[in-house]
Amino acid sequence: MAYHEFDCSTCIPERKKHAVLKGPEETLADALPAGYLSTIPGSISERGCAYCGAKHVIGTPMKDVIHISHGPVGCTYDTWQTKRYISDNDNFQLKYTFATDMKEKHVIFGAEKLLKQNILEAFKAFPNIKRMSIYQTCASALIGDDISAIAQEVMEELPDVDIFVCNSPGFRGPSQSGGHHTICIAWLNDKVGTVEPKITSDYVINYVGEYNIQGDQEVMQDYFKRMGIQVLSTFTGNGSYDDLRAMHRAHLNVLECARSSEYLCNELRVRYGIPRLDIDGFGFEPLSASLRKVGLFFGIEDRAEEIIREETARWKPELDWYKERLHGKKVCLWPGGSKLWHWAHVIHEEMGVEVVSVYTKFGHQGDMEKGISRAEEGALAIDDPNELESLEAMYKLKPDCIFTGKRPGEFAKKIRVPYLNAHGYHNGPWKGFEGWVRFARDIYNAIYSPVHQLAMVDISKDEIPTDRGFVTRRMLSDKNLGEEVRNAPGLRQYTGKFDLIPDLRNKTAKDYPYLRQDAPEELEQQETA
Amino acid sequence: MACNVMEKPRAGVINPIFTCQPAGAQFASIGIKDCIGIVHGGQGCVMFVRLIFSQHFKESFELASSSVHEEGAVFGALRRVEEGVDVLLMRYPHVKVIPIITTCSTEIIGDDIDGLVIKLNEGLLKEKYSDREVYLVPIHSPSFVGSMISGYDSAVKDIVKYFATKEEPNGKVNLFTGWVNPGDVTALKHLLKEMDIDATVLFEIEEFDSPLMPDGQHVSHGETTIEDLQSTANATASIALNRYEGGKAAQYLEQEFNVPATLGPTPIGIRNTDSFLQTLKQITGKPISPSLVKERGIAVDALTDLAHMFLAEKKVAIYGNPDLVIGLAQFCIDLEMKPVLLLLGDDNPFYVDDPRIKELKENVDWDMDIVTNADLWVMEDRIKNTGLELDLILGHSKGRFSSIDHKIPMVRVGFPTYDRAGMFRHPVVGYAGATWLAEEMANALFTDMEYKGNREWSLNVW
Repeated sequence: MAYHEFDCSTCIPERKKHAVLKGPEETLADALPAGYLSTIPGSISERGCAYCGAKHVIGTPMKDVIHISHGPVGCTYDTWQTKRYISDNDNFQLKYTFATDMKEKHVIFGAEKLLKQNILEAFKAFPNIKRMSIYQTCASALIGDDISAIAQEVMEELPDVDIFVCNSPGFRGPSQSGGHHTICIAWLNDKVGTVEPKITSDYVINYVGEYNIQGDQEVMQDYFKRMGIQVLSTFTGNGSYDDLRAMHRAHLNVLECARSSEYLCNELRVRYGIPRLDIDGFGFEPLSASLRKVGLFFGIEDRAEEIIREETARWKPELDWYKERLHGKKVCLWPGGSKLWHWAHVIHEEMGVEVVSVYTKFGHQGDMEKGISRAEEGALAIDDPNELESLEAMYKLKPDCIFTGKRPGEFAKKIRVPYLNAHGYHNGPWKGFEGWVRFARDIYNAIYSPVHQLAMVDISKDEIPTDRGFVTRRMLSDKNLGEEVRNAPGLRQYTGKFDLIPDLRNKTAKDYPYLRQDAPEELEQQETA
Repeated sequence: MACNVMEKPRAGVINPIFTCQPAGAQFASIGIKDCIGIVHGGQGCVMFVRLIFSQHFKESFELASSSVHEEGAVFGALRRVEEGVDVLLMRYPHVKVIPIITTCSTEIIGDDIDGLVIKLNEGLLKEKYSDREVYLVPIHSPSFVGSMISGYDSAVKDIVKYFATKEEPNGKVNLFTGWVNPGDVTALKHLLKEMDIDATVLFEIEEFDSPLMPDGQHVSHGETTIEDLQSTANATASIALNRYEGGKAAQYLEQEFNVPATLGPTPIGIRNTDSFLQTLKQITGKPISPSLVKERGIAVDALTDLAHMFLAEKKVAIYGNPDLVIGLAQFCIDLEMKPVLLLLGDDNPFYVDDPRIKELKENVDWDMDIVTNADLWVMEDRIKNTGLELDLILGHSKGRFSSIDHKIPMVRVGFPTYDRAGMFRHPVVGYAGATWLAEEMANALFTDMEYKGNREWSLNVW
């Protein structure tokens, strides 16, 4: 492995340690990009702040909570309606956001009184919501307001409410990752263990590091339910505040995004002895393996196998239809953190694409280790990428598609590289068997878009065919495919619905008997043992 | 039955209408050619503002951060700006203008960016970039003062103040457009062209609607040049179409360089566009051309088709940038509609004395509330809990769920409008804007009639 120096970054030599080319016969021991280091000012990095990492990424997907930011209005406004974490309670957390609206006089004289007034107003405006998260911002951190004291005061005055405080100002650490850490530990310290749940199954998990982007959580929850597993809580997508207070009673923590919330699982293991099991909802094989692992843990492998059989039979022919047509396409896998290793190998294995580059905005070296080892030889790995480096990489690598954020997607568009939204997805969910087909379908639609083809034409120079009124995606994708592939029996395009979530919400899960409910003491003993 | 002006009855904000000052300064920054602003604060203050610009315009704009981390917050972070300026200049050889934009954190810790600019001018720029034309413009935009509106207004003034240089009169008009869309700039330039008036448009943001070109040009940016900014001191007059977005700069030029300033009116609707043209005529002595008479005729014709048959009596709530809200309310009244709720989303104390608000207070003969320092909950609370009935909402996308959940048709207007395609392309100003707005409103009402089965048959013939 060799460090890669970008032409545009030779003047900032410290950047050289942040990019690596995965060469033949080389190992991670030769070179690994530096990660989670201080950002170079003025480099036009894509990183966000620790406030957004805490409030926006992890806190807000909690669905039955008033999310209030203590500071000037901008932090709240700017992070509002920029993500696609839905919920089954009519998306309260997407629709309403709260700011204490700190002004100059508060900066000078303190804003604790203002905060209290805000808390009371918010509960009054939404009398059915009894839970609140308060997020510190740069301004309230610097003036030193004691948010926890105010929260405590309100909880004493209003006994039916509960308030969580997260002190993660924007300047805390080099990226949003600092906020992930802070909120995980704060939740664990302050809230876990304060509610005793109703246990309804012999198999109880917390589903951790899952944010229900476009319904991912609900897809996965469906599999768990079909296995007769009680999902005690989800941290945090579509998650309920009080369920998350009862995390200490699960038998197993099933961890999805290790980047953002492994801290929580590790501490739950230390403090409550709950094992951590890393799983992966993306891709047929990793998902199947994950369901098997969970099944194995509880001794219910057969239930996992049944789901895997059923889902694979239903959706594999559709995935393979796309795989035939995506084979050899070059993609840049440029997400925020964990998706670089969640996806790197499996999009290659199951969709046939070549991952020519991976990058991470806020990942640590561990994420790079996993990502690079799973990417193709020759792949370019970049830590904390900036605008010019991304462009240089795209010019050099000429990807057919990149998976990245909304705004970087806009400048990729300008150099005629189609993008898919790696954070919010195009038409997800992308987790689950059906979701994975939707991802493949979205890639296919991006790469073979007739409009994309038109964007490559220069009418002042190129020969323009005058006999074409339109082009279909298949005319582009099937051009070089053999007849046996083009009309392969058994393969088909995606046949699911525009929105698969409503059906999941209306579904009643198969009823498994709860065997040990009559023996709570025995259970208790086993747990403490 | 009267028009009342009141403040929001709560201290906090539930669903804000505006973001904070640095966003306004950043919007001014991207309007300048060869310019990349550095926002001095946490990284989110830039990342999310860039995101919302890209949500609205479906383009990417360049803005940098000084990336203040813990150490800077504790010990002072000016070093981060120094490094940021250097890195930016090294890697972007075309950059000439770097606004240094403060945020709440760096104002609270008291970083002296004005002193820093002097230091950099004497040091780094002389030593390392003596062959480069570089302008470092300090802009103070603490987030705990005003809103994105005042942030924009102050930034435009700071930029103009920095560059304006007295030379020979240039015979031009300074046109401060306010916080508008590329479609508005196109419409305004069209009016000026029809009147044969040479103007410096601040800011030239037509290119925000940038093309996808075969040569792969990848960055969207404004086209206002340093020369444009310098020559603002030498104009015949300034017009700030939006009193609260560019007004300060026009007033500064009047005080400092005797360039007479006219504030407003925001040329939304026929009447305000007429006034705008009248102002132009008075300033330049140039007649209003027959082509504009015809254009106006087309617009009035279109409005006649809609106003008294469909739009009359419709109750409308309007929120967003103050000049936009007031302009839209005035236009709606001309269309026989009834604006019943206007939301101005910050605590600017001058709104109460705004002559246009006073005019509304004196003449409106139905119940109309104008709420200052408002948030979107002011509207939704009334819809949900106190029986406010609305036929139409005019506002930006952040209020979309008020419309969706309460099944009230809505026309997206202002900034940001990310949940509808191409809104930035359509003007709301000028005669073209009047036509587009009225027809959008009518079509929104028509669609709603059809979805709800509410006199939808009446559209069979009209």
